[in-house]
Amino acid sequence: MTATKALEEERTHGAIIGVGIAILLMLTIAAVILGATGYTPSEKIRPLAQFYLYYAMNIFKKELWAATPEAVNSMVWDYRGYDTLFETSVFFLAVIGAVAVLRLPGVKDVSTKGIFSGRGLSLIVKVVTKFIVAFILIVAISIAIHGNLTPGGGFQAGAAVSIATLVALVAFSRIFLEERHVTTKLMLPIRVIGVVGIGLVALAPAIIALTGTFAFAMQNQPKVWAPNFGFPPGFGDFWFSGNQFYYNFLEFLAVGAGFTVIYLMYSIPELIYKEVLKKK
Amino acid sequence: MIELPLVTELLLAFSLTLALIFAYLTVMERDLIRAVVFSAGQSIAFAYAYYLLFAPDIVLAYIAVGVGIYSMILIFAISKTERYEKV
Amino acid sequence: MTTLSQVLWIYMYLTLIGLIAVAVYGIVRRPNLIKKIIALSILGDTANTFIIFIGFRRGLATVPILPTLNPTLEQLIAFKNTAVDPLPQCLVLTAIVINMSVTAFLTALAIQLYRLYGTLDVRETAKLKG
Repeated sequence: MTATKALEEERTHGAIIGVGIAILLMLTIAAVILGATGYTPSEKIRPLAQFYLYYAMNIFKKELWAATPEAVNSMVWDYRGYDTLFETSVFFLAVIGAVAVLRLPGVKDVSTKGIFSGRGLSLIVKVVTKFIVAFILIVAISIAIHGNLTPGGGFQAGAAVSIATLVALVAFSRIFLEERHVTTKLMLPIRVIGVVGIGLVALAPAIIALTGTFAFAMQNQPKVWAPNFGFPPGFGDFWFSGNQFYYNFLEFLAVGAGFTVIYLMYSIPELIYKEVLKKK
Repeated sequence: MIELPLVTELLLAFSLTLALIFAYLTVMERDLIRAVVFSAGQSIAFAYAYYLLFAPDIVLAYIAVGVGIYSMILIFAISKTERYEKV
Repeated sequence: MTTLSQVLWIYMYLTLIGLIAVAVYGIVRRPNLIKKIIALSILGDTANTFIIFIGFRRGLATVPILPTLNPTLEQLIAFKNTAVDPLPQCLVLTAIVINMSVTAFLTALAIQLYRLYGTLDVRETAKLKG
């Protein structure tokens, strides 16, 4: 009797906390309606946003510019670069955590040969999937490389390329990917290359600063107080925007490989787990 | 007759109403596979709202994550556990 | 701003409040773990939409992307006066990545919980204490 009473008490406790959080969020929205952050929606934006928009591609004042015509990408990698650095590390740790929970004890790489048999999906699905996978790969690489000139960037391209792997996994089977060497043994080193590359490009100015000049980590263009080091913004028609091109491409590798590892770990069928857990 | 800001606001109100309807159907559904499909519909309604709010980077990231990755991870999890929820 | 516009904006904020209420109801009162994870993702997306609403500019608004590589000074001043606020978009990108990482990890934990206890119902899992 006391067990069910304690259960009921805990359930109402949880409900009160949940309703309290909901009321807090609703009061925030109500405060914004009544004008807490100025009259929204307004016809002017804040001075900080005007500063970032004015100086992102300002060729007349080269002490403060970021050399990219897209304001959002300049803020992701140059003006607010440390946010993105730690967000990439959070994603890295989440993939490590998911793989560590679902790992089989003592087995390195699982092969699903001989478990499935049958005809698979219809012919129309298979032919259309082959076209779609090729197009998604091309579009994702274009989003990654043009991230500093058009909407896009590293994370968007990584998410898009993982959709190509997912469509191939669902329409064909896991054996199809394993025979083309798309396994966890190949994807984990690609992920590590991407993340370590981002770290090296971020630390390169700080290492060069040891030789006497003043430069800080994640520096893109020469600034007023650190005028001796900067990545070249572009050669003629090809616009690099400093180190944002390298950042976008390395983040594309890291995120795409990370998502593929998650899909390959989740698509192992339950029969294998039950066999391994029964043998222990 | 109708000027441009008013058209944008009407379409925004329509897309947010659609998102509210899909979210309500998601929470009230007992079959979990249908709940995942309704949740993907709600993600598409939000992506349309982000397009009307002039945010193209977020549209790209959110469609890939909301419709592709969330739906697939949840369907893998449902296929390894139970399909119907006991209310 | 005409009264129809004001009514529409207040209606949109009330829709966001309704979405928060639906999501929190789903987290608190539904006993299946997968349903709780779905409702948590709805709550996160509503918060992201609310942040972008704060940075919106009414009237003549454009995308915060400069269309040329050699801008003149008048083009820069016009860009500063008509573009939408780009700072909330940068923060929302980070928020989307972190919400998705947490969801992927939570589903891995839910699958492992099902293998150990045989059920995903929180009412039955709560009875197993002690």
